[in-house]
Amino acid sequence: MRDEVIRRARGAVAALVLAGLVVAPWVVDDYTTAILARTLALALVGVSVALLTGVAGMPTLGQTAPYAAGAYACVVVGSRISDVGVVQLAVAAGAGAVLAALTVPLVVHARGVIVLMITLAIGELVVTILGRWRSVTGGTDGLAGMPAVRPFWGLPPLASDQARYLYTLVVVATLVGAALLLLRTRAGLLLRAGRDDETRLRASGHRVPLHVSGAHIAAGAIAGGAGSLLVVAQQYISPADFGFDTSALLLLGVVIGGTASIGGALVGAALVIAVRDWLFGVLPGHAPLVLGALFVATVYLLPSGVNRARVRLRASSAAPSHPQAPPARDAATVPELRA
Amino acid sequence: MMAVVAAGTNRIDPYVIPALDGVAYGLLVFVAASGLVFCFGVANILNLAHGTLYAIGGYTAAALLDGGWASLALALAVGVLAAGAAGVLLAGLLTPVATGNHLTQALLTFGVALAGGSLLVAGFGPDDPQVRVPAALEGSVVVAGHRYAAYRLVFIVVAAAIAAALYLVVRRTRAGMLVRAAVDDAEMVACLGVSPARIRAGVLAAAGALAGAAGVLGAPIIGPGTDTADTVLLLSLVVVVLGGLGSMAGTLLAALAIGEIQTLGVALLPSAAPFLLFAAMAAVLAVRARGLASRWGAT
Amino acid sequence: MPHTTPWHSRALGATLLAVVLTVGTACGDDGPGPSASGSIKVGLLASLSGTYQSVGTEIRDGFQLYLDTHDGKLGGRRVDLVVADEGNGAQTAVPAATKLLKQDRVAALTGIVGGGSVAGVTPLLEETKVPLVGSNGRPELKDVSRVWHTSYLSDEPGEAIAQHVRDTVQGSVYAIGPDYQGGWDELRGFTDTFVKIGGKLANSDGKTTFTPFPATTNFTPYFARIKASGAAAVYTFYAGSAAVDFVKQYAQSEIKDVPLYAAGFLTEGGVLNAQGDAARDIFSVLNYSPDLDNAENRAFVAAWKAKHDGSPTTYALASYDAAAVLDRAIGAAGSDPTPEAINTAIGQLGQIASPRGTWQFSTTTHSPVQKWYLRQVRQDGRALSNTVVGDLATVGR
Repeated sequence: MRDEVIRRARGAVAALVLAGLVVAPWVVDDYTTAILARTLALALVGVSVALLTGVAGMPTLGQTAPYAAGAYACVVVGSRISDVGVVQLAVAAGAGAVLAALTVPLVVHARGVIVLMITLAIGELVVTILGRWRSVTGGTDGLAGMPAVRPFWGLPPLASDQARYLYTLVVVATLVGAALLLLRTRAGLLLRAGRDDETRLRASGHRVPLHVSGAHIAAGAIAGGAGSLLVVAQQYISPADFGFDTSALLLLGVVIGGTASIGGALVGAALVIAVRDWLFGVLPGHAPLVLGALFVATVYLLPSGVNRARVRLRASSAAPSHPQAPPARDAATVPELRA
Repeated sequence: MMAVVAAGTNRIDPYVIPALDGVAYGLLVFVAASGLVFCFGVANILNLAHGTLYAIGGYTAAALLDGGWASLALALAVGVLAAGAAGVLLAGLLTPVATGNHLTQALLTFGVALAGGSLLVAGFGPDDPQVRVPAALEGSVVVAGHRYAAYRLVFIVVAAAIAAALYLVVRRTRAGMLVRAAVDDAEMVACLGVSPARIRAGVLAAAGALAGAAGVLGAPIIGPGTDTADTVLLLSLVVVVLGGLGSMAGTLLAALAIGEIQTLGVALLPSAAPFLLFAAMAAVLAVRARGLASRWGAT
Repeated sequence: MPHTTPWHSRALGATLLAVVLTVGTACGDDGPGPSASGSIKVGLLASLSGTYQSVGTEIRDGFQLYLDTHDGKLGGRRVDLVVADEGNGAQTAVPAATKLLKQDRVAALTGIVGGGSVAGVTPLLEETKVPLVGSNGRPELKDVSRVWHTSYLSDEPGEAIAQHVRDTVQGSVYAIGPDYQGGWDELRGFTDTFVKIGGKLANSDGKTTFTPFPATTNFTPYFARIKASGAAAVYTFYAGSAAVDFVKQYAQSEIKDVPLYAAGFLTEGGVLNAQGDAARDIFSVLNYSPDLDNAENRAFVAAWKAKHDGSPTTYALASYDAAAVLDRAIGAAGSDPTPEAINTAIGQLGQIASPRGTWQFSTTTHSPVQKWYLRQVRQDGRALSNTVVGDLATVGR
């Protein structure tokens, strides 16, 4: 009964937020619209982080890698082949998926903090390559001056902050909707089941690594798509956009939003990025201090969540002192991921 | 014959100093990271503010060192105390999330690191401060026909002594026994009547003290500055995870390996320098994870 | 379905962040350009936190010094200076610049430490038609119609010192620098010119050695290679913490007696204090030194020392000059100094008197045509300072 009420309330809140986002460009100034568009792109990467962290049980710091691949692929296509948004989006998502597929062998067997470190390494390596592959990426100073995007064949190019924002919003809504639908399918259920009890799922004959690989590639495609949106929203990209700060903030945003919930992750990541960007504008010199204090405060405002550790002190089961123990993904390093 | 010998020395010769320096660098990373091993292995805390504890030591050294031996002793004492106290403070802040999950701890400690880092810069200024080592160590000495910084040579000895002392403490004392027991079975230790909050405070104080000591002694090598905390945190996380999340010996090996990769590896393969650290880490971790998974699959 | 955190408490956390946001966005949105009261809004974007904070504060203080010594006015109008934080690079600089340009609607933008940040801001300048008078980083740009720099192009210091190194050093020179755009440009400026006039590089393949940036904190392995190369001198460019590490380790290394030549940033400002005695005798090339003997510089240095510890740097000077440029341009832009009018006026300034000596904007690159000086780190009273020991080429295209 209570669950039903909460579910409806959440639906209502989601509808309200969406309505607010649709009318926003007519209510707020150009600055806010431009920042919202950029934030939405990053929040979509947050969704892909949540898909891996919360749903598949693999906390990641490396989603900036497919995000970057998508963004740079989109620029290459945009400046040489096509200025049509859906084409760029498809190419970017494909590039993200390919990069994610290439890194699957590195992450598919790892769990918990080990995944965090492997994905961190992947992200850093990609940023290093981007900085050095100057003929394509423009090096560390980045690329600007891409031609304006037209969303679809025959439509005019996106020339104003409002237009760019609405295009971003439509794409984000579509991709998030697709991700939500995907999670309702059998594949989504199996993915969550694997996160909750990998041993039992394996015992019943399911191939957990296959599900995890699929989720990794799907998350890569979403992050890649978000990359093409960053190009639209910001009209400039550089390796700095895909650095460690971005992946750390996205992961923390997803933690704030609730790792297992796609909507929560979207809101959490968007809020963290927006607060950071806003602080750098209004409190010059004090942004890191205030942002840090806000993170600490947020932990204290989520007391029931952080206290309700279902798996108390079971960390040792994943420590290398018991290498024979099954690397249960849920038990030690990310216990809150049990839904 | 003579020519062959000369050619052989010449080929090895340019790598003597990098190899030696890799030991100094690796030992520094080990002392800096050793506290993080305790956080992880004993208290099960993912502490992203660990680099900030090192930076506290580094700034203390810069503020107190004046080129004399007495100031070095003073800086070491103050740095260890200050960073240890910061560790206790952190343990207090961590109380509500201590039994929780690593990601929430990461959120909290990342926040502390961000705020703490900017407080340090606000207090000590944005410029890298000057670090003045005792005058006797300021110059360089000749090692195998090459000049090498005297301070780093002495640091190798001191850091090796710290590593040995750590080993003895963990192996031979009651505190060390508790630590090893907690790594193996935390619930067991809780049953012994040692309060988890006290273990946590003790562990973070020890971690802070070690990081502070590393910060003071390592200030002439990885000096205090706006990016110090990030650099040290990243290197520490890398060696702790590579070392197996809770093993001192593993961490020492990983630290020495990282030290050599960052110096000897760079000297041998300069064009690969930007990729060496992370490529090596990702490869080792992925292979090890695959090994665990396959062993599990076989049983 | 039970959730990880009850959604209401999660919502509480989210609300906290959201409230912080709305409070902020609710305030401030004034009209563009000059307001009716005869004041004018200028936006200053600089790294006031993070890795480049020391450069960023110099830039802010240099601009503020000009305002303080000119009644807070530029071109006869009271200046409303809006400061924003560039952070570590484009990822934070772009949103902060968006605020200055689209919410505060500044009439001109100045500052910006990083070249990547400038590159990220240029699409916004094109869109809002606001000029940038940058005072530090300058990337390669296709279109400079609204971009002006009072600093330099990154390859110019090396270009200016190459002839001197060629004439002075008996033997080959080893070139080493940080692996990012600024490093590539600084080193290319030197090596291209040096090789063209017959100099020989000691690097094994004739190519500059680039060190991972900012990851390199230990230069020992590179010094071993320099030793093995038998170089008679080293040319380098580093700034900030990397400059401190490089110089301190160089002085303790086996190549400590090999003469070190550098782009002036290696020993400029705060890093020189951190380097201490290790920096003694280093030769560097820069467009400014506080001991230059001219009336503008004496006034500038005196005013600076009245407010700050130590001497002004080239960063502060460039920002001071950016204010001077805006002062004259706003004055020349007439009764309605719109961003477009200011931009046009900057292009017609001609010679600009400055503490570094007189300079002017190049018509093609929109960066200074200026004289460069050879400096050496020497004892000056109790402290070390960069003392001018000679004039080098005048460079600018």
